[in-house]
Amino acid sequence: MASFTERMAFVLVMALCLSGALAVDRGNFKTCDQSAFCKRQRALKPGESPYRALLETMELTNTRLTLQLINDNNKVRLLLELYRLQGNITRVKINELKPLKPRFEVPDVLVREPPTEPLSLLSQDENGVVLSLGAESQRVIVSARPFRLDIMEGRDVLMSLNSRGLLAFEHLRMRKDTSQADSEAEKKEEVDPANPAETTKDEDDKDEDGMWEETFKSHTDGKPNGPSAISLDFSLPGVEHVYGIPEHAETLRLKTTDNGDPYRLYNLDVFQYELFNPMALYGAVPVMLAHNSQRTTGIFWLNAAETWVDISSNTAGKTVFGKMLDYVQGSSETPQTDVRWISESGIIDVFIMLGPTPKDVFSQYASLTGTQSFPPLSSLAYHQCRWNYNDQEDVKLVDAGFDEHDIPYDFIWLDIEHTDGKRYFTWDPHKFATPKEMLQGIMDKKRKMVAIVDPHIKVDSNYKIHNEIRSRGFYIKNKDGGDYEGWCWPGSAGYPDFTCADMRSWWASMFAYDQYGGSMENLYTWNDMNEPSVFNGPEVTMHKDAMHGAWEHRDVHNLYGFYVQMATAEGLIQRSGGVERPFVLTRAFFAGSQRYGAVWTGDNAAEWDHLKISIPMCLSLGLVGISFCGADVGGFFKSPSSELLVRWYQTGAYQPFFRAHAHLDTPRREPWLFGPENTALIREAVRQRYTLLPYWYLQFYQAHCTGQPVMRPLWVEYPQDPATFAIDDEFLIGTDLLVHPVTEEGARGVTAYLPGKNEVWFDVNTFQKHNGAQNLYIPVTMSSIPVFQRGGSIIPRKLRVRRSSTCMEHDPYTLFVALNPQRTAEGELYIDDGHTFNYEKKEFIHRKLFFANNILSSINLAPDAKFSTQSWIERVIILGASKPSKVTLQTADGQESQLEFEFDSSMSVLTLRKPGMNAGEDWKVMLQ
Amino acid sequence: MRFYVFIASVFCCAFADSRKIRGISSSYKRFYRERKSFLCIDGSKLIPFEQVNDDYCDCEDGSDEPGTSACPRGRFYCTNLGFRPHYIPSSRVNDGICDCCDASDEYNSHIRCQKTCWNLGQRERAYVEGQMRTLDEGLRLKQQLIEEGVLLWREKQAQLRELQQKAEDLHLKVEEHKKRKHQADQHKEQTLKTLQAGGAGSRQHNNTASGLFQFLDNNKDGSITVDEVQARVVTIHDEKRLLSENEAVALLGGGRQMDLTMFRHTLWDTLTKGDNVKIRDTNAALDSPVVEDPLLMAADRAAKWEATNLKKVEEAYETVNMEISDLQQKLAIDYGTDWEFLFLNSQCYKLQVYEYTYTLCPFNQVTQENTAGTQVSLGTWGMWAGEPKNQYSQMVYENGEPCWQGGSRTATVTLTCGTETALRSVKEPSKCQYIMDFQTPVACQPVLKQRGIHSEL
Repeated sequence: MASFTERMAFVLVMALCLSGALAVDRGNFKTCDQSAFCKRQRALKPGESPYRALLETMELTNTRLTLQLINDNNKVRLLLELYRLQGNITRVKINELKPLKPRFEVPDVLVREPPTEPLSLLSQDENGVVLSLGAESQRVIVSARPFRLDIMEGRDVLMSLNSRGLLAFEHLRMRKDTSQADSEAEKKEEVDPANPAETTKDEDDKDEDGMWEETFKSHTDGKPNGPSAISLDFSLPGVEHVYGIPEHAETLRLKTTDNGDPYRLYNLDVFQYELFNPMALYGAVPVMLAHNSQRTTGIFWLNAAETWVDISSNTAGKTVFGKMLDYVQGSSETPQTDVRWISESGIIDVFIMLGPTPKDVFSQYASLTGTQSFPPLSSLAYHQCRWNYNDQEDVKLVDAGFDEHDIPYDFIWLDIEHTDGKRYFTWDPHKFATPKEMLQGIMDKKRKMVAIVDPHIKVDSNYKIHNEIRSRGFYIKNKDGGDYEGWCWPGSAGYPDFTCADMRSWWASMFAYDQYGGSMENLYTWNDMNEPSVFNGPEVTMHKDAMHGAWEHRDVHNLYGFYVQMATAEGLIQRSGGVERPFVLTRAFFAGSQRYGAVWTGDNAAEWDHLKISIPMCLSLGLVGISFCGADVGGFFKSPSSELLVRWYQTGAYQPFFRAHAHLDTPRREPWLFGPENTALIREAVRQRYTLLPYWYLQFYQAHCTGQPVMRPLWVEYPQDPATFAIDDEFLIGTDLLVHPVTEEGARGVTAYLPGKNEVWFDVNTFQKHNGAQNLYIPVTMSSIPVFQRGGSIIPRKLRVRRSSTCMEHDPYTLFVALNPQRTAEGELYIDDGHTFNYEKKEFIHRKLFFANNILSSINLAPDAKFSTQSWIERVIILGASKPSKVTLQTADGQESQLEFEFDSSMSVLTLRKPGMNAGEDWKVMLQ
Repeated sequence: MRFYVFIASVFCCAFADSRKIRGISSSYKRFYRERKSFLCIDGSKLIPFEQVNDDYCDCEDGSDEPGTSACPRGRFYCTNLGFRPHYIPSSRVNDGICDCCDASDEYNSHIRCQKTCWNLGQRERAYVEGQMRTLDEGLRLKQQLIEEGVLLWREKQAQLRELQQKAEDLHLKVEEHKKRKHQADQHKEQTLKTLQAGGAGSRQHNNTASGLFQFLDNNKDGSITVDEVQARVVTIHDEKRLLSENEAVALLGGGRQMDLTMFRHTLWDTLTKGDNVKIRDTNAALDSPVVEDPLLMAADRAAKWEATNLKKVEEAYETVNMEISDLQQKLAIDYGTDWEFLFLNSQCYKLQVYEYTYTLCPFNQVTQENTAGTQVSLGTWGMWAGEPKNQYSQMVYENGEPCWQGGSRTATVTLTCGTETALRSVKEPSKCQYIMDFQTPVACQPVLKQRGIHSEL
């Protein structure tokens, strides 16, 4: 939904007056220069670090190395902790040795305290120590003066920390203008035995602007704790490509930031965001991936405060010719990317994921923050949303419209107007007078609904939710200790403190059927505005000096949306007694949000560039664990042309979260409102999605099990092919489907890169075979969605597209077997009930489908699992086959029967007619 | 709304060799006569007959699987005995949702469908009967309204003619009054001139009888009248006093007028003697000969009077012309082939929906008023916008109050058949786009009426 507001309306009008264009009002959001700590930190230039490792303080246990660092300028000591974690991860933690008060450490994001592996000392002298990082001949070198860390494998440096001397730690301090008594206390502190004989010489302690107070526009941020920023640099030798740190409206490959602002991570409700821009958006995942053709590594900077990331590269300015010259002359430095992270508060807690393959990095990151939640199958189908469906009658008519036009859909959505005066958990008494009746009507069609529940709570003493939160003291407090109040959809609103576990469990209990009146089991939830959005707050969000218990909002800001979705998902689980999988969509997110549901890219616009950028935006999210990503189909703001709308459906049908959405002020755009031709085009795109649901479901099962992304950049599967490294106008779903959607207006053709030197790809519509490692020009018409199946793969589809995915539950499968040049192929089939947690109790079918030596067989991958299905195999289509003389089916009981088949010699397509075996059983099909 | 005529299928035992093929209508049975093989209806493929309805799609056109969900483009025929037969997409066969009221689409699913055709049929028949009654009543009322409309139309036409006649009359009157005003103006002008001339030359002219006569003969008609005497002759003792009529008559020798000859012998002497009367002191009169001159004042009054009269008549003429153009504009609107919509003109219909009251004044405007009393225009009369074959089924009101994001509010009014004329529903599916359902007998269409519908059910 929306960041449009009354206030924003005014801003927009102003913007229109000034620029005449619909775009973000940049003046509402800080640049690095306007963010005091960023400005301070960025003013530090690379050079020799003032930090020194005090080797004599080193303590090495089996699992942990600790060591004190001292800043020679101000004598403040830090404590370095170094862990070797299981799965080729190194954790580096740096905190003040004796902070004036505790500094915030992010809880709840890691799925557990990460298990460690033994560290061992290889050598030590006065210059430093060398530690072994487990088996793979990896070492970490701790240099003492100046302090730096180098992670080596063999003779290669994989990554260096503080090699540019940008480690900075603004220690907590007393304010200079406080009373003498305080200064005395400070002095006493300084002669603490931990800091023996060293008098603090606060060279860098001179007060600068913005250390104790900062004003942006009309908002003043009182900073009772003073400066607390942290910073660290990472050097990545041999790396020219870095990815990740969503959410930005940016290309897949991140750009260097030398000539502009750093990438900003600070969850914000940005009205009409601009593209190709490092500005912060709704969510933040502080994870960056670095890749070259030998290795992939990752940096996870676990900090929830406002964060800025600078990227520079020694090859960034070079032309291709310059690089070639370097190569020919064998000269010059190796390429290197330098990255620098700056956060406003908290501690340095960084996980260095050492790969070496992209898949390894995904598993490593998943081992820390968890994997994608396994969504209900239906949530992978098509969602119909609009701000707003006006009343029950409207819902009924839209539902009927889908049936009339024979377009499937699974979820219809209600935005904020469904509530009684923007009081969440309630219904408008006139427009939605009988919600259960409405939900039952939807359920009768085996469909579902999502209603919005935002975290801002109307301040209204007649509103139960507000009264309970207030009386329980669950609201976030302002700096003076009163309940924090901001302006949002309902007017004056309070913001529950979702960082508080008691608050979250109370919130979860509000989703019980007897609490949330009018709700039923087919009603799911959408959390919007959870950055949090505060219309009258600084940068449209909360004041940083608001209080979450003992912690400032400054410390936890980027976690807020994560917690909102966590509590909501928990509520949906609890209401079913732990049986049903939840579905919750969120706009704000953080590392770990993948565990709770889906995200979308917020309030985009009906413009071709917004369609294009949906691909890199979701790819970037997939790289950092959040697979269930989508963009508003059609564009939220403005009104799409029918061509743009059709192209967006065609693209969205091949992205993980597939939902059409539209702003309140736009004309209606249900799929049948653009003439019969466009209706047919949209119908076909949606139907393609439905036929592929078994494949999507399998991808999500695998993402849930392994943390691999569902929607993948090509380089993830072809890490040694530099041609793939910057591609972001096409993508893979899993390993086997390559999609190059048409995202250009008036396109007559697209050029798709088909990767893989000895591979082949089959056009899924024509079955035409193409060789890999080539740029292929594909002429397109309005009905074209260029999609290719990888030779060597088997994809199960359900071709009987029905009203909703649930209606297709028992339908038979068609197996698409695409042979590679070696005439083999493999794939998987996963089946369960589609909506409960019973798969955790091994109630599922997971089979490997394997074709080799002219035998296609189904092998049980989970012999200990139990589930039965009515679904059977109705058809097998083998692409790249030769004509057999006879086809024999052997079923589990050993019975053999002949199968009828058809062979199309022009395309080498063999179709086996109605083999009929149950999809859950062992079988073999032999071609002779 | 469309009603389907159900044709009872009485092909009993006509094809003894035809086993029951699920999902086809009787008219398609001829394609499914049991033979060795089946030809897809599009002729594309010949398949063994056992493969008809075997839950595998062989024909591109889906014709081999009329009774299963196997074909993506297939359709399934619900016989729905007791109700309306119809086709559903094959994808709705055995999908766990009851689509056919005879339950025939869910022959192999976990759901148990109620057979509801009879009830539906009854309800449908009751509904159709209701509709029929409504239609009958509606058409009767419509006929009345048409008749009234014709009368109204004639009345309006008569009114127009009347107004036009009135306008014509007024036009003549205006012309006449213009003329009169012109004359009065001229007279005033002349009086003024004479007065000015008289003021300048009275002394010289007073020396001769004819000169004085001419001076006194204000209107230059060759005789002096009572008025003229009163205007210029005063008593010696009281110059200010106007002579009475009797005194003037006495001066004129007992008559009401006097010519020059008579004057020479009578009044001329009296005046030249100057014992009793004299010519008003022209010296004093010279100071303000215009204002105070009674003759001039009379002329001025007359001119003003005529001007006022002209204005009145002109105004009346303008009013009538406006009425005519108003009426012509109204009559220029398309009120349907029989002027059946004419009666809606000048009516307004209200409906409250949630917090808003909507007012539709057909052929005029649509407004929305909130509980606080703020009124917003949703559009003024635009045009008929129904489909070509029934253009009177929809009205569009446009150019209402502007919307926040540009454009202006519009209201689309759909007219449906009913026995009363009333606004039935208002919706705003998209911001500033209003859709109204307006029921009225005049929207009833006799083409809808198909007697004998469902009589076999």
